[in-house]
Amino acid sequence: MIHFLTILLLLCCVPCSASAQDGDSLRVNVKGFVDTYHAVRSEQPNDWMSSRTRVRGEVTIEKGNTGAYVSANLIHNAILKDRSGFQLREAYAYYSDDHWDVRAGRQIITWGVADALRLTDIISPMDYTEFLAQDYDDIRIPVGALRLRYSREKWCFEAVAIPVSSFFELPTDDKNPWSVGQLPIGDEPNRRLSNMEYGGRLSFFLSGIDFSFSALHTWNKMPVFCDGIGQYSRMTMLGADVSVPVGKFVVRGEVAEYLDEAQTFGRAASTNALLGIDWYAGNDWSISAQYSHKYIASGDNRNSGLATFRISKELLHNTLALQSFAYVDVTNGGVYNRLSADYAINDQLHATIGYDYFHADRGMFTVYKKNSELFFKLKYSF
Amino acid sequence: MKKIIIVALLALFNVQFSMINAQSLTGRDIAQKVKDRPDGNTRYAELELTLKKKNGTTRQRKVTSWAMDEGKDTKKMMFFTYPGDVKGTGFLTWDYDQIGKEDAKWLYLPAMKKTRRISGSSSKTDYFMGTDFTYDDMGSRHVDEDKHKLLREEVKNGHKCWVLESVPVDKHEIYSRKVSWIRQDCLVAAYVEYYDKLNKLHRVLTIDDVKKIQGFWTIQKMEMKNVQTEHSTLIVVKNSKYEVKIDKSLFTVAKLEKGL
Repeated sequence: MIHFLTILLLLCCVPCSASAQDGDSLRVNVKGFVDTYHAVRSEQPNDWMSSRTRVRGEVTIEKGNTGAYVSANLIHNAILKDRSGFQLREAYAYYSDDHWDVRAGRQIITWGVADALRLTDIISPMDYTEFLAQDYDDIRIPVGALRLRYSREKWCFEAVAIPVSSFFELPTDDKNPWSVGQLPIGDEPNRRLSNMEYGGRLSFFLSGIDFSFSALHTWNKMPVFCDGIGQYSRMTMLGADVSVPVGKFVVRGEVAEYLDEAQTFGRAASTNALLGIDWYAGNDWSISAQYSHKYIASGDNRNSGLATFRISKELLHNTLALQSFAYVDVTNGGVYNRLSADYAINDQLHATIGYDYFHADRGMFTVYKKNSELFFKLKYSF
Repeated sequence: MKKIIIVALLALFNVQFSMINAQSLTGRDIAQKVKDRPDGNTRYAELELTLKKKNGTTRQRKVTSWAMDEGKDTKKMMFFTYPGDVKGTGFLTWDYDQIGKEDAKWLYLPAMKKTRRISGSSSKTDYFMGTDFTYDDMGSRHVDEDKHKLLREEVKNGHKCWVLESVPVDKHEIYSRKVSWIRQDCLVAAYVEYYDKLNKLHRVLTIDDVKKIQGFWTIQKMEMKNVQTEHSTLIVVKNSKYEVKIDKSLFTVAKLEKGL
């Protein structure tokens, strides 16, 4: 099977245009990229933090209302040898007509309106093998799920069932510069029917506002350290989100109540709320800010806050994109800021240089405080 | 003899009627006629956009689009098909005819697997994906967003045209005025000059390939040139179809996320 998928992935490297034929004929759509990414620590010992090259292939095969989608990577990782090789990303079959969309298989499911913060968007967990230094779609871990969606002109209902859950990947190998250290993490929940995740989301899309309500019976997918061991526990999320365009701004809000969430001292509900604003300032400037607050119903450290800031500008007829994206740990004063400049050398080839800056004495970024790095990426898309 | 007199009288009446008609046409009337030019209730097209720098190097973008009229409002769905890094990126727009009512817009980014509600008003004066066309140039501008004045009639590129000057009501627009040569035979501009805030010629649009497809006048090729930077964008429209069988369920966020 892996050999077959590898051949399929290699076939993706051959440029192939999408064939647009009538609805009942077989349509094959191929896209992907080859990229090489290298990062070096900016402080002593100036060692390589990342050095990887990969081929990504994405194939959609469709006939009539049914189809299948596969995306996969072939990776050579010079730092993390066990990450080299074939990596299946998504692989699902679907049926889609005017109103129904059924998707079964390995897939990334995203909810909510927050940008790079997760309140209601807790179905697909995160891969922190290289913390946030990977592309965002590589950080999301696909889940084996059945997703049923029914949509009308101004609303949409989505039901999901995840028979076998996926959990955060935390690097504990000391050879990995992004290691979080040797942490004792307990076993993942048994693969049985009673451990299934399930939930739904009802969304509305109106002329002046989008909003949705969501509910999910799930797990805390990032292990919570209680009695010295990282544990996974059941919880229920009840959430809502909203987006309101106001002139050149879009105001976004999201709230999620985690009922019976695992905490370091036991179990307690938490309230999570986010407010964000995007400013489409014109002349290809884009600025956005978000603040997310977590309040735990009991315990000693009840409040914590995380903010993000993004500013981007496109120049030279959109061939040069400059961006700064920062996470700010408001509670502990830590910062992670990714500065990048992406230049389109031609239609297919992009070169990106950038700098990841970490500053933290306490909190979530402390473990990475010596990981500030310069990075370079070359990407050929087809 | 009697017949000749009747025919002569009718001809005279017709000429006089036409003169009165031409004289009574205002700039706004012509702009409204252009906006109301029949284009079917549903439309499909594939666009190839070639961006050309002063030194001759080119970049290309390809887009597939659908549109459907709902009364005076229009819904549009658009997907990028080239280059590879933006392939699959989709825009859904609900354009409202009513002045002051913000268009509803959504952007789907396949790499993020996420749809974002975006501002309905900000991008109109921005350039579309690095081309020399603004979002406003690509879409349909409300007639009363400009004050129109009929300057004269003249022949341009072999076509009899109305020459129309349009001055934006909103002073924040990127042009101070535009002068359009509107072909009288098909109600399509043959040539448009855009002047900047200092009233210097900024951009020039040339439309020299217009054909009737399924009974509707259709632009096949148009070029916008920034005469100040000498950067230009050529748009070639391919595979235009009208009255295509599409359901309004195509113009939903669910379909935007489903993709082409």
